[in-house]
Amino acid sequence: MTADEVLAVVQQAVATVLELDPSSVVRQTRFKADLQADSLALVEIVEIVEETLAPQARPGFHIEDEDLDGLTTVGEAVDYAVSRL
Amino acid sequence: MTRVALDLLGGDCAPQSVVDGALLVAEQDPGIEVVLVGPVEVAERLLEARGATGRFPLVAASQVVGMDEDPARAVRAKRDATVRVAARLVRAGSADGGVEAMVSVGSTGAALAAAVFTLGRLRGVTRPALAAVIPAQAGPLVFLDAGAGTEATPQLLAQFALAGSAFAGVRLGLAAPRVGLLSIGEEPGKGDELRRAAYDILATLPINFVGNVEGRDVPYGGKADVIVTDGFTGNVLAKGLEGAASMLTEVLFAALTSTPERAAAAQVLLPGLGEATAHMDADRLGGAVLLGVGGVVVVGHGASSAQGVASCVGVAAQAAREGLVPRIATALSDLLDRTREVAAP
Repeated sequence: MTADEVLAVVQQAVATVLELDPSSVVRQTRFKADLQADSLALVEIVEIVEETLAPQARPGFHIEDEDLDGLTTVGEAVDYAVSRL
Repeated sequence: MTRVALDLLGGDCAPQSVVDGALLVAEQDPGIEVVLVGPVEVAERLLEARGATGRFPLVAASQVVGMDEDPARAVRAKRDATVRVAARLVRAGSADGGVEAMVSVGSTGAALAAAVFTLGRLRGVTRPALAAVIPAQAGPLVFLDAGAGTEATPQLLAQFALAGSAFAGVRLGLAAPRVGLLSIGEEPGKGDELRRAAYDILATLPINFVGNVEGRDVPYGGKADVIVTDGFTGNVLAKGLEGAASMLTEVLFAALTSTPERAAAAQVLLPGLGEATAHMDADRLGGAVLLGVGGVVVVGHGASSAQGVASCVGVAAQAAREGLVPRIATALSDLLDRTREVAAP
């Protein structure tokens, strides 16, 4: 998958969980500062992204909990997911 | 028969109080079938000790989310946690070997996370709230959020107001429930920044917003049918009221039995006092409904006794029987549409 395709997956997951227009979610969007996403919302987003990407990812694809704290923007999350696909 | 999944490992006195609660349910309402979710060998041992072997269906779940864990991350990591397995049973539905509702008196955050991950959220809900029906003096009222979350924004309080109004319409049968915002004074300008901003938003919603109400309006009632607050404040107030009611009962009992003469008089007075306050007994109230998720989930007090657990199961079964979730989804969707119509230029 390309980075743009992963970005679309993350945008849709964020939009679903936080009831936003997907087009309002861009690479620079910050999960907490801009979207006020709490820990439950962040983990829910991760669950959706993992589930959506899994069929096209390598076996065992998983977003590590300990890495979540370092992902502050949508762009960082996209780059992280692409690097583990 | 209404099937309700019961988290065997949740609660301060689990698993004993949970099994005893299930046995009380079987005595009190034969129309409910409790499904115990947890380590099968633990359930079998406890049931055998009570002469109730084979009394309930058992569904295996080997993990529990501790009160000291981050609920969302723990539920994500523990796919075999009791609350997660119970939520999967709700998702399956009773027609497919599952259940119609679930109850946990363990970690609220864990039940919330399991419900959100497994059952999803209703349209218009980004953060579910715990909605309790309080037996106020003037009549029952809906109080939310009783503690599902601790962070809040004005928009979130507006969401709770819409969901609470829909819930009160269904549960209390009210056409236009009066919705009040919990604050420290009745005037619109009272309260912190969160409350003042929320007030302005609630005033624009297509609900019967009656303005601010105060803490005393929760036990007395009469001013609003729905009282909205953030989960932190709601949980503090709910536990404060519970503690005050419990303390008052103990003080009265001690005073009424402190001398032989008073004890003799108490023989007459205590049954009446008991009847008057029975509806305020936390163990008889049942738990709070997790409002905004796609299934019936009831969360009870961690210190629930067997009767408390049984009451929670009763609340869950009632919610399932009356089709609470689809009816709330419809009512909430209608309110959202009207909100957007009002907001449209």
